[in-house]
Amino acid sequence: MALPDMQSPSALQLGGPGDGAGTEDVEVALESLSQWQLAWRRFKLHRLAAVGLCIFGFMVLMAIFGPILDPYDPIFIPNAHVPGGDPPSLAHLFGTDDVGRDVFAMVVNGARISVTIGVFSMLIAGIVGVLVGAVAGYVGGLVDNVLMRIVDVFFAIPFLFVILVASRFFGQGQLIPLILIFGLLSWPLISRLVRAMFLSLREADFVEAARAVGVSDFRITFRHILPSALGPVIVAMTLIMASNIVLEAFVSFLGFGLTEDQTSWGNALSNAQTVLSQGNWWWAFFPGMAIALTVLAINFIGDGLRDALDPRSRL
Amino acid sequence: MTKFIIRRVIQALPVIWLITVVSFLLMQQAPGGPQAVFNQNPHITPEQVDAWLQRWCLVRNADILQTIQEYLGWLGVYNCTGGGFLSSQGLPNFLPAFLGGGTNGVIHGDFGFSISSGQPVLSLIAQRLPATAILMGTAWILWVVIATLAGVLAAVKRYSLIDQVITILSYVFYSLPTFWLGLILIFIFGVELRLFPAQGIINVRTSPAPFGTDAYWHALFANPWPQLVDIGQHLVLPVTTLIAVSVAGDSRFVRSAMLESLSQDYVRTARAKGLPGRTVIFRHAFRNALLPIVTNIALEIAFLFGGAIATETVFSYPGMGLLFYDGVNERDYFLLMGILLIASLFIVFMNLVADVLYVMVDPRIKYD
Repeated sequence: MALPDMQSPSALQLGGPGDGAGTEDVEVALESLSQWQLAWRRFKLHRLAAVGLCIFGFMVLMAIFGPILDPYDPIFIPNAHVPGGDPPSLAHLFGTDDVGRDVFAMVVNGARISVTIGVFSMLIAGIVGVLVGAVAGYVGGLVDNVLMRIVDVFFAIPFLFVILVASRFFGQGQLIPLILIFGLLSWPLISRLVRAMFLSLREADFVEAARAVGVSDFRITFRHILPSALGPVIVAMTLIMASNIVLEAFVSFLGFGLTEDQTSWGNALSNAQTVLSQGNWWWAFFPGMAIALTVLAINFIGDGLRDALDPRSRL
Repeated sequence: MTKFIIRRVIQALPVIWLITVVSFLLMQQAPGGPQAVFNQNPHITPEQVDAWLQRWCLVRNADILQTIQEYLGWLGVYNCTGGGFLSSQGLPNFLPAFLGGGTNGVIHGDFGFSISSGQPVLSLIAQRLPATAILMGTAWILWVVIATLAGVLAAVKRYSLIDQVITILSYVFYSLPTFWLGLILIFIFGVELRLFPAQGIINVRTSPAPFGTDAYWHALFANPWPQLVDIGQHLVLPVTTLIAVSVAGDSRFVRSAMLESLSQDYVRTARAKGLPGRTVIFRHAFRNALLPIVTNIALEIAFLFGGAIATETVFSYPGMGLLFYDGVNERDYFLLMGILLIASLFIVFMNLVADVLYVMVDPRIKYD
């Protein structure tokens, strides 16, 4: 099916290898860069986004390799320990908590679960959101109406209330149910975005052209419209990842999330409230800073992506 | 205008209905069921549990039909004490009580009893409402004022030092987890500096009566200043916590709306006419930037609800958020369903207000 590919500007193609026939080679020689390569170039020039990418990359590396390199076990409780915990020192960079657990080890190990929850719940939200939004926007009519009323309900019920109830009753102490809860409750934002893009692109000339030559609905949806709508979706997904990392921390902080033996940043904070009054700030400070830094990095990346993926912005 | 509002209300009805279904199902599907909490209480006999269950149309191990019956009973369409869809007076149960309808279910204002305290859900919520209203009202006003001022200032002085500072601050605050910010504020201002109280809404030792009781309100009206100062001091840290994140996000929003407005032709025309800078900024640019800002203000009240639960739990502030948290801990099904439903209805209402405001503020939008 070469014809519709020629109809839609090559700018809208994902540009993988083997993508497009000989016609594209001519274009490549002339234009030299696809839209995605241009976006990447713009992204690299975004200084804050580069900083964000570095911080986030560091967090991911820490999540993967940190627990291997770190000498302390985050849930190891030594026999002898200082009541109230040691302040930060060379032996314990971030100090220890009241039962002698190393706060640095908790932060390093916590990255694993927090980043996992953020990334996977984001992917679930992205997939469900895109599917629902695409169906609603492309099919329209009654289906659209029903789906959008369901989305309205998601926006009306206070998100955090539902998260708390769901985590307490269905997800307590287990990683995969928690990921599912966070993912399945945060897709409506994306589906609204995708639907809006579909409504405006459905009548666009290149879609009309594709339909005229008999391209299937499925292919039009995913090959022609979706790539054009992907920019805002990716930006929204970064926002969802950031907010889900914070939400997991809050839910675990309240004691409705993961259990003590699964260290996440929220869990590391869970007993901090009672001990802050004793002046042991390091228990709460370092895990919280890890969350804040990660969220800041993701927000920077999101900002960079927003500028880079906006086809109106030029180099 | 009336027509537009009526149409908007009718559109909201299916959403409200779906909200009741979701609130109910969320609780219905919870493991153990509503009666699970009684199993731990040796003073309650199985017969008492059965009587309690029957009062709410609840059945152990309900099948689909029985679940629907339970839902309809909770909603108030179904009469649980015999009679099916008819009330004890032989009329449809969903009618208001004075027209011969039933008295059970949320549509008759009966949200059931809290399992942990035994009080009616509605009166529990009513007790907690003032505290939450004070917190959220104060936060909302300050939030709007600060975000608007910061955003306008940053836009007008674009790329200046102050714009950079506001931008950096809003990036940083936007990334802070609300509850963690609360913890840190408690540590710095409550524990180390002892500037502000860190717990509750009033000073228990000096107040004349517990907050929310009739005696307290009487004392408040008799001699308002000491009590108001007390509440004000207790509000400083929770309100700061609650609005820091939202102000950061919204000042960016105001800034971009204002920048958009400042780049329009009519602003250039106004400047070219020789109008003073202040007039151009406030009468020409700001008034047109208001449009997205106003609707955003009404919409983000939903966001405040989420923030309230985080703030209230961290500061032990006796509002609805803390009530909900306790309810989740105690598995207090009726209480949770009640709060979920009431909070959602409030948000639906605020969305409606936002839509109406949008139409009213923007003369370009035609409604019919």
